[in-house]
Amino acid sequence: MISKMKHLLTALAISGFVISTPITAVASEPSAATIEEGKKLAFSRSKGNCLACHAIKGGSMPGNIGPALVAMKLRYPDKQKLVKKIWGVPELTIPNSIMPPFGRHGILTDSEINTITDYIYTL
Amino acid sequence: MKKTLLIALSLGVSVLATSSMAATIDPEKDRQQLVDFFKAKNPNLAPEEYINGAYIFSADKMAQWEAAEEFPPYLDAIDEGEALYNKDLAVYQKCFGSDVSKIRAKYPYFDEATKQVVTLEGAINKCRTDAGLKPYGWKKGPIAQISAYLADNARGQKIDVKIESEAARAAYEDGRNFFIKPRGQFNLSCSKCHVDNAGRKARANTLSAALGHTTHFPVFRAKWQNLGTLHRRYEGCQKNMRAVPYKAQSETYRNLEFYQAYTSNGLEINGPGYRE
Ligand code: HEC
Ligand code: HEC
Repeated sequence: MISKMKHLLTALAISGFVISTPITAVASEPSAATIEEGKKLAFSRSKGNCLACHAIKGGSMPGNIGPALVAMKLRYPDKQKLVKKIWGVPELTIPNSIMPPFGRHGILTDSEINTITDYIYTL
Repeated sequence: MKKTLLIALSLGVSVLATSSMAATIDPEKDRQQLVDFFKAKNPNLAPEEYINGAYIFSADKMAQWEAAEEFPPYLDAIDEGEALYNKDLAVYQKCFGSDVSKIRAKYPYFDEATKQVVTLEGAINKCRTDAGLKPYGWKKGPIAQISAYLADNARGQKIDVKIESEAARAAYEDGRNFFIKPRGQFNLSCSKCHVDNAGRKARANTLSAALGHTTHFPVFRAKWQNLGTLHRRYEGCQKNMRAVPYKAQSETYRNLEFYQAYTSNGLEINGPGYRE
C-alpha cells in the first residue's frame, strides 16, 4: 500500500514536472541576473548546497563526493537532460547514489532547479 | 560480492543496499564483508585504525587531533562521572559488580528475557529507577559523564558483542536495515555517507567510516562544548538528513547501536573521545 502510494506520488510529481518543462524549452538565453541567482541557489547551504559534494569554480571548501561540475554543455548537449538529472527523474538516477533528488523530494522548486541549471550550464 | 564491491568502489554507490537482497542476514558474514569493503577501499589502513574516526584519513588532521587528545577537554567529565558513580556506589555495585573496569565492555547486549537490546546508558538508568533514584536525561550531562568514566576504565578492552539467538539476529538485521535505508527529504542513508563515501569530504567535513563508530563514545565535541552520547549523535545526523529523528534509547536506536557495535567487534574501546 505504502509503496503504491509512493508510486502514485512520484507519478504525480513527475507529471507535474513534465508540464512545467515546456516553459524552459521556449525560454530564451538566460539573463546575467538569472545566472547570478542560479549561482546563489547552487552555493546556498539551505538550498542547492551543491558544494557539499561538487567542486564548482569560485566555490570555497567544496566536498569531493561527486564529480566536479565542469564543461556541462559538453556533457549535456541536451539541457533538459541536465534539468532532469538534478530534478531526480528515476531514469537518470544512478541506483543508490548519494545525490539527493532535488525535485522529486521537493528540496527545490522546479523554477529553482531551472535557474540552477542555467547557472551550471555556463560552467 | 566481488562484482558488487567493485561497482560500489568505482561509483561510490551502496554496497550494503545491493547485498541486502539476501533472504536473511548472517551477522558474522555481514560484518566480515564490511571489514573487507574498507580493506579494499583503503588498503593502507588496518581495521584497528578505524576507532579514530575521520582523522585516520588525513595526516594533518590526525596530528592536530592527537595533540588535542594529550590534554583532552573531557578529563573533567570523567572526574565528574566518577564522583557521580561513587555518590550512589552501593546502588551501582548491586547492578554492575564492584570492578568498574568490567562494565563497559558488556554493552550493548541482547537480553533474551525481554528480547530487547540493553545499552550501557539504558542499564545505568534502569539501575537508578529500580533503586528508587531519579533517571538521568539520555543525551548529555550525568549519564554521559558516568558512561565516560566507565569507558575510560575499560580502555584497551575489545568490543565483543554476541548474537546467540534468532531474536538477537533479528535485532541486528533491524539495525542494519535502518542503517542502509534512505530516508528524509535528502534521500540519504547512514551507509551512503559512512560506508560508500567514508573518507570523502562533504564540504570541509571528512566522513568517518561506520567501522569503529561506537568504540569511543561518549564523545566531547568541540561543536557541543560538552560530552554527548552515541544516540545524541544519531539524532544529529538524522536531522542533517532532514529526517525526523527517533528518540535517544528508542528501540530503533538501540538496535542501530547493536548493529554498529557488532560490526566493530574486535576493535578497542577508546572512549571517551574528542571530536570536532
Ligand atoms: C550529497 C551529495 C551531493 C549533492 C548535495 C549534490 N550532488 Fe550532484 N552528484 C553527486 C554524486 C555522488 C554524483 C555522481 C553519481 C550520480 O550521478 O548520481 C552526482 C552527479 C551530478 C551530476 C552529473 C555529473 C555528470 O558528470 O554527469 C550533476 C550535473 C550534478 N550532480 C549536479 C548537482 C547540482 C546542480 C547539485 C546542487 C543543486 C548537486 N549535484 C548536489 C552528489 C551530490
Ligand atoms: C550527509 C552525510 C551523513 C549522513 C547521511 C549521516 N552522517 Fe553521521 N556524520 C556525518 C558527518 C559529516 C559527521 C562528522 C564527521 C565524522 O566523524 O564522520 C558524522 C558523524 C557521525 C558519527 C560520529 C563518528 C565519530 O567518529 O565520532 C556517528 C556515530 C554517525 N555519524 C552515525 C550516523 C548514523 C547512524 C547515520 C544515519 C542515521 C548517519 N551518521 C548519517 C555525516 C553524515
